[in-house]
Amino acid sequence: MKRSFWLVLVFIVALALPSVIGEFWVHVAIEILILGLFAVSFNMLFGYMGQLSFGHAAYFGVGAYATGLLLLKTPLPLPVCFFISMAAAGLAALVFGYFCVRLTGIYFAILTMAFGQLIYYIIFQWYAFTGGDNGLQGIVPPGWLLNVRHYYYFTLFIVIGALVVMWLISASPFGHTMRAIRDNAERTRFIGINVRRYMLINFVIAGMFAGLAGGLLGPFNRSIAPDLCNWQQSGIPVFMTVIGGPLAFFGPMVGAVIYTLLFALITGFTEYWPLTIGLVIILVVLYLPGGVLGLVQKKWIPLHSKKLTPGPNGGAGEEI
Amino acid sequence: MKILKVEHLKKSFGGLQATNDVSFEMQPGELAAIIGPNGAGKSTFFNLLTGYYKADSGRIFFKGQEITNWAPHEIVRLGISRAFQVSNIYPAMTTYENIRQAILTKQKRTLNLFSPAAGMAKKETRELLDISGLSSFADTIAGQLSQGDKKRLELAIALGCRPELLFLDEPTAGMSAEETTQTMELVKRLNRELGLTILFTEHDMSVVFGYAQQLTVLHLGAIIAQGDPGEVRQNATVQKVYLGEEA
Repeated sequence: MKRSFWLVLVFIVALALPSVIGEFWVHVAIEILILGLFAVSFNMLFGYMGQLSFGHAAYFGVGAYATGLLLLKTPLPLPVCFFISMAAAGLAALVFGYFCVRLTGIYFAILTMAFGQLIYYIIFQWYAFTGGDNGLQGIVPPGWLLNVRHYYYFTLFIVIGALVVMWLISASPFGHTMRAIRDNAERTRFIGINVRRYMLINFVIAGMFAGLAGGLLGPFNRSIAPDLCNWQQSGIPVFMTVIGGPLAFFGPMVGAVIYTLLFALITGFTEYWPLTIGLVIILVVLYLPGGVLGLVQKKWIPLHSKKLTPGPNGGAGEEI
Repeated sequence: MKILKVEHLKKSFGGLQATNDVSFEMQPGELAAIIGPNGAGKSTFFNLLTGYYKADSGRIFFKGQEITNWAPHEIVRLGISRAFQVSNIYPAMTTYENIRQAILTKQKRTLNLFSPAAGMAKKETRELLDISGLSSFADTIAGQLSQGDKKRLELAIALGCRPELLFLDEPTAGMSAEETTQTMELVKRLNRELGLTILFTEHDMSVVFGYAQQLTVLHLGAIIAQGDPGEVRQNATVQKVYLGEEA
């Protein structure tokens, strides 16, 4: 109940926002939404499945290029482009994920990164199709979305829709199975789950939503560049999730707000952005290991305090 | 038909012959035990039967179907589940969620992506909590349970898979005498009342002789004796290598 109160409050603020802030900050807000969606999709792997992907930007990039190319070369309506973005990113995730889910831990991270870089170099080199390192320019959204405030509301509703779907997945038996795999993959195998198959399905879902986030980016920036598939870009959702808290569904979203606002503020007067975010990350890792939402949960919502004490019948010697 | 049939099973690790030409059978409804000193190959044998290890040679049949070297999840789906020697639970989930996860898997609901898990399998989960004596710990994070309760949860998870054939690897390891009796009485009830075929390993001789109908003695990976408790107790080889002065 308390959570729904906060969600409604955030929703109202999000609705009112464009009428009270200037155009620059509306741009920042759109970026928060897009990167937040990207980070939440990343956290389906990191928080729920327990595997660190360091190549998630590849699927973000595939989604961005799919919508970008479709808008430039076809008359398809934007929502259709987004669906194709999700399908394309999902397909890429299926192909690469097939190999990645055979590994865990650092090896999973490295292989996701290697495949991510593979996609990056393909896009970077394939001038005839992707424009190579020139990227794609002139990706213009349909007329009704040219106004940045309209594009904000459009993005807001798509991101909310995507979050609702991911939220449902996280609460479903499938979502609980992902937690089970994170907690004890071996046990999960021995209750009858094909762990790799489930990890692959989750990898594809995470890739699809990253693709949707990527799709939203092109028409917003009016251009895309291969850099957004690069491994540095893959680091962004990692930072956001660590800052916001990987064990809370909205953690990456909170991280996206903090990261993107900081970026907008800091780069206004100094070029030492990497230094700043590096310090923030060090502070969070050292003093807020559960991220901002982890702290909130611990301090204000004693979620598990009830659960740690045995019931009235107590002890281990209870009658069977 | 035999519920379990093992033919000439072999497994070695480097130079160590951990399972040496083991042939073994179980009738449906049997409650049997495997005994043997530490390192006799009891756990390796279980690990081969449940797909944890791949056999070097030999064949395993469940109800006439060959399952040699199947993946663990395939074997479980066929109706064989196991409890591990060192409790193998979900330490970050609640006791309730631990058991529910096994039940949801058995009910083939784990590919459901869009309905909340919260309302699912309530009755079945409660039932198993009750049977295993963990009802009052339903909302406890499983990692915080006592060793004995973790072992009971381990058993409850194995039962949540609704097996026909259940392997229990030292089900009472680390339990007090009282807990041991409770657990073995539960095992007996599962066997008698639900008709579950159960094979367990045990190092405590009193437990074995009190409950198992059939005994198999492993030594250095090979079977050295088989029969009902009385026969095994009389067996000269067993007395020499295992029971020692005790017998």
